[in-house]
Amino acid sequence: MKASPEKTAAFICHCSGNISDHIDIRSLKNALKAGGISVFDFEYLCSSQGQALIKDRISRHSFEKVVIGSCTPSKHGQLFKKCVRDAGLNPAMLEIANLREQCAWVHPEVSEATEKALSVLKGKIRRLEKAEPMDAVVINIRQKALVIGGGIAGIAAALSLADNGIPVYLIEKNTSIGGQMAKIGKIFSPDKLAEECAMCSLSPLMNEVASHPAITLITSAEIENLSGSSGNFTVKVRKNPRYVLDSCVACSRCSNVCPVLMENEFNCGHKDRKAISLRFSQSVPKTYAIDPGHCLELGGKKEGESCGKCVDACRVGAIDLGQQPEVLELEVGAIVVATGFEEYDCSLKPQYGYGIFENVVTQTELARILGLNGPTRGKLMRPSDNKEGFPANNIQENKIQENKIQENKIQENNLQENHVSTPEVPKRIVMIQCVGSRDEKAGGNPYCSRYCCMAALKHANLIRKKYPETEVTICYIDMRAFGLYENYYRAVQDMGVKFLRGRPAEVIEKGDKSLVVRVEDTLKQELLELPADLVVLSAAMVPSEGTQEIARTLNLSQDESGFIKEKHSKLKPVDSSTEGIFVCGTAQSPKDITDTISQAGLAAARARAYITNSPRTLEHELASVNPLLCNGCGKCQACPFEALSLNENGRIVVDPLLCTGCGYCVELCEREAVRVTGFTAQELLAEIDGVLEEGDLLTFVNSGIAYLTCDNIGNSVLSYPANVKTVKVPTNLVVSLEMLEHAFKKGATAVLMLEDAPDNPKAETIHPFAVEHFEKLKTRLGENGKRLYFKKAYVPNTKGLAETFTLLAGES
Amino acid sequence: MKKMEDIPDRKLLLFKSCMVSQEYPGIEKATKYLFDRLGIDYFVSEEQSCCTGIGHYVDLYGQLTTTAIAARNFAVARKCGYPNIACMCSTCYAINKEACELLNGNEEVRAQVNSVFREKGLEDLVYAKGDLDERTNIFHVLEVIFSKKELLTEMTEVDFSGLKAAAHHACHYYKFRPEDMIGNPENPRLIDGVAGACGADMLRWYEDRSLTCGMGFAQLHIHKDTSLKVTQTKLESLRKAGVELLLHMCPNCHIQYDRCQPVIEKEFGSEYDFVHMNIAQFAALALGADPYKVCGLQTHSVPLENFLEKYGII
Amino acid sequence: MTLIQIDEYDTPAGKSLAETIKASIRTPDSLGLDRCIQCGACTASCPAARFTAYNPRLLVKRVLENDRGVLEDETLWNCFYCYTCQLRCPRNNSPAKLVQVLRQLALNEGIGLENMEHFLGLGEFFAAHGISQVPEHYLGKMAEALGSSWVEFKRDLPAIRAELGLGSLDIRDERKEIRSILEGTGHFERAESLRARLKESGASEGIEENKFLNAIPGKNKSEDINLEKNGRYSGPEALIV
Repeated sequence: MKASPEKTAAFICHCSGNISDHIDIRSLKNALKAGGISVFDFEYLCSSQGQALIKDRISRHSFEKVVIGSCTPSKHGQLFKKCVRDAGLNPAMLEIANLREQCAWVHPEVSEATEKALSVLKGKIRRLEKAEPMDAVVINIRQKALVIGGGIAGIAAALSLADNGIPVYLIEKNTSIGGQMAKIGKIFSPDKLAEECAMCSLSPLMNEVASHPAITLITSAEIENLSGSSGNFTVKVRKNPRYVLDSCVACSRCSNVCPVLMENEFNCGHKDRKAISLRFSQSVPKTYAIDPGHCLELGGKKEGESCGKCVDACRVGAIDLGQQPEVLELEVGAIVVATGFEEYDCSLKPQYGYGIFENVVTQTELARILGLNGPTRGKLMRPSDNKEGFPANNIQENKIQENKIQENKIQENNLQENHVSTPEVPKRIVMIQCVGSRDEKAGGNPYCSRYCCMAALKHANLIRKKYPETEVTICYIDMRAFGLYENYYRAVQDMGVKFLRGRPAEVIEKGDKSLVVRVEDTLKQELLELPADLVVLSAAMVPSEGTQEIARTLNLSQDESGFIKEKHSKLKPVDSSTEGIFVCGTAQSPKDITDTISQAGLAAARARAYITNSPRTLEHELASVNPLLCNGCGKCQACPFEALSLNENGRIVVDPLLCTGCGYCVELCEREAVRVTGFTAQELLAEIDGVLEEGDLLTFVNSGIAYLTCDNIGNSVLSYPANVKTVKVPTNLVVSLEMLEHAFKKGATAVLMLEDAPDNPKAETIHPFAVEHFEKLKTRLGENGKRLYFKKAYVPNTKGLAETFTLLAGES
Repeated sequence: MKKMEDIPDRKLLLFKSCMVSQEYPGIEKATKYLFDRLGIDYFVSEEQSCCTGIGHYVDLYGQLTTTAIAARNFAVARKCGYPNIACMCSTCYAINKEACELLNGNEEVRAQVNSVFREKGLEDLVYAKGDLDERTNIFHVLEVIFSKKELLTEMTEVDFSGLKAAAHHACHYYKFRPEDMIGNPENPRLIDGVAGACGADMLRWYEDRSLTCGMGFAQLHIHKDTSLKVTQTKLESLRKAGVELLLHMCPNCHIQYDRCQPVIEKEFGSEYDFVHMNIAQFAALALGADPYKVCGLQTHSVPLENFLEKYGII
Repeated sequence: MTLIQIDEYDTPAGKSLAETIKASIRTPDSLGLDRCIQCGACTASCPAARFTAYNPRLLVKRVLENDRGVLEDETLWNCFYCYTCQLRCPRNNSPAKLVQVLRQLALNEGIGLENMEHFLGLGEFFAAHGISQVPEHYLGKMAEALGSSWVEFKRDLPAIRAELGLGSLDIRDERKEIRSILEGTGHFERAESLRARLKESGASEGIEENKFLNAIPGKNKSEDINLEKNGRYSGPEALIV
């Protein structure tokens, strides 16, 4: 592919003095021409006239290779690439010599700057001699998305994707979508001091999901397995039978005749649900479902028993007891995980009596008690008083005796006879914050759960409004009413809710089932025993079982608490560890509804961008494997981005969507079968040959942050000696012993490897490998190893980098 | 959290307790009786000393002294070939655990302790890192008994059905090293498990179940009124709950409840109709052991005769 | 004034109370002292706080403020060492361990010595027998409180132990290992210096004549229970068979 000099052209931009005032363009041209290169210069190559000039000259003279001496390639690199492509050249045949930021602006002496500019151009010309045309990699992304989890996060993400024209599958484990938000009764937003009906906000969205032409809703379903590669996932979904066909008209006849009353998970275990039922009255889809574990016909049948009453009652023949599970295979381009949270199991903190004393409940349970569709139809009462509220009270009592409290509660037995059973509204309610949150002890979680202070405020306020006689005390460590929520906090304070700063030690039950909370009021320094009719625990938010399962099934990184870990908390807040899989809502970390919906929108936007960027032409440097040299040893599969894998034919293949072109695999391969296109050893050696002169400091610069930092030295009007020569590399992992030895042989006084600081997801992964690589090279260089240096580049630290250049360039 | 399967039943050094020896020797005898019946391989050494607990927790001995004494006892265990230490007293348990952790984890302390041994010509006592493991070599005897509770149920001869008993777990067992105990430290169930296996009905919750017995080492002596007030509070809580028998696992608690109950009755003008026992004494009784010749109940201040008669033991 | 022998393992020199406490071998490296958020879970759980003016949360606060006045706070001596604070602390702090170091620091400065008076002889007894007992002074008090049945029991202990098949109370310690260890780790020096300082301070109660036996009506069997000449019951030493 070697082009003769006369087939190579150099274009030099004056940048209206930015370059031409500091570099003697004429002598530059002469020197290049002496080497047989055609040279053109122009005031502004980036202008339309400039671009026309480039295209015209290439076509007119049939140039095969082009060097453009101009500003940094990060500024107009893409533009010039388009230019040469338009002129019929492969973009690999273009090199850009950075004559502005890394030459004209940093070397005040014209003669030095000119000399340096010449060497940079020569380096690029030599490099082009070894260049090979690059085939653009084109990927087709499947034009469908999958959203896992039908809570508010999944609903918001699915609607956002669908409204933006992406067909979506929405998978929900339960028989209805709605998630936790369906349970909580009331919501409020920071700008309003009023509580609103949660279902009134949620229900229209749920219905929209059901009716949206671009959304395929699959309920009672779970993800079994994921295969394929990013952009082309195959997801195996198991759809469990609901034993009721879509023809169900939700008339409730079946439920009315069903003899089986069971614990209602939706109502926090209250026994007010039939074995055939809707999850809640606003369920979507509005199709009844049978719980096979409790239905007498399907699972709970004792010998000789049979039922089938619902089948007889149904007038549309919608009940199908023979329904079998189905396995579906979905092909999608991107996935959004929105599998949510569950409430911390407060029985892990027995000192607060949850699961032991009837009148200790969680905030979610209180929400159900306050909910109009809850176990008490919205009437605030103690669970121990709830004799009328539950149709199934007797059964529940038995249940408690059987399972919940096997131990003999003597005090209870002694005093039960005296107990007056007129259910009264609890007069004293104590809320305990941070149960399972901010707790280093075994069974606790170190983090703040973020929502609980607000949930406690909301419930306290609701109770105070509806039952002004009831006193509510919130025991807190710190009230965290972040952002505008502070307004609501103030309003709740005005409602007469009591705030007590202290973490309670324990909850004690008295004979009449009332409770006592032992706590120190740390502001008054008083040890108190607060009497309470009802104690409400603000339980931590923990990743749901579904979230934990999906992380395992999809092989996603989790944090120490089990939440799905984002790639970068600031820069990639919704990207999971796998390309093309995004995460939002409480599956990612504890958050409230507002933040969940915002994050769901971002996840949908990211997923949509991922999908619609198709067919995708990948132009960045990628690893490629020479099948003639590769023996399939598989060592390169240690790729930290998991971009290399053995296919079914025993061949190593590169997933272009995962490959970052870092070059780690180049070093791993013992047969030199792997290389990074555009950065082969031959190309880099040629560039070194061209650019390097005796007494130079050679710097290999990572093309990311490090290169940007070098440019910023120029932007900051700082300077460094002109014998600092840079060679851009995807990462320093492509730098080989041969290159270093060659550089020292050519007279380099020192070599610096400049890497990105590990402050972004890619650099975080690469940095440790780069350090290891550097140390290995240093050892292998022997005596010369003393002259090899490594530095981390930070964008703001331009001055520091310029000083390092000056220091190292002065060594000889 | 420790698992029950991790409790050894072989090579146990039954670690004598000063307060058991001097106040309730029946606890030691009952423990040996249980160990024999349950087929546990144990040994009692004449050389094993006091753990320093009493002096340590009245702020007399420094941690270095305590650790060196523990190292000596560990050498005793090692030399007799019974390296699994099983304590009858929860303070011995706490002291030994803490000392063992220091010896393994703090090189400076280990070196200093060993240099004292060498200086005094006691080379054979020198402790090498990892000689004992604080998690897998140091236990409370209750854990050993608890791990055999199914056997206890099979072997129980006395019918305790209807007995309303409550447990007082020792602070220096479950609060001192919560991460090492069996079960949730906020809900210790070892005594309940063993007594339940022997047929007692255990009261799970009473108001002051997590309150200390009140002994507080120096407190009983230097702040006697407060100490007894705590104990009285505890006794009141048990009275309200209608308990017949309080079971404990530490001789210090035992002294505080059994010895002090009559004193408290006198000083506070209250009356308590419940009795006290160490869980080993109770389990031995259930298995048919003699209340006096094995369980040593004659050493108690609160007489147990009514109780023993009620359940047909005497 | 006698200088009190300082145990550098318990109370290493430090720039502040907190530094000393963290460096003390009585506290683990994982101690969450600096992470304290003053939530009060310790105080709410504390038996001493419930019945006395002791407040572990406040104590931690004063330590973090490096308020050395805390060493003179008499409530320091109210802690039961029951470790409920440690069990409940969400930050893995341990006021109970903190107090142990604070009491040693107080003793270093000659504060609170009166609380130690009757315990200072425990080491001698331990060295001689290999076991520990409640100090004589308090045994006497116990006898007063518990009355004749207990005194009788104490008298009968050797026989009871024999019946139960239990061996000697004293341990076998031919090489006087216990004494060597107490010596080698500096126990006697410190106990001696505490005793001397206490004497100088004049706060000592002195060893009073113990009249408990006379207090027991109808019982005057001093000869039966091996009393020493001064009429004091001296504990198990006298009971060893």
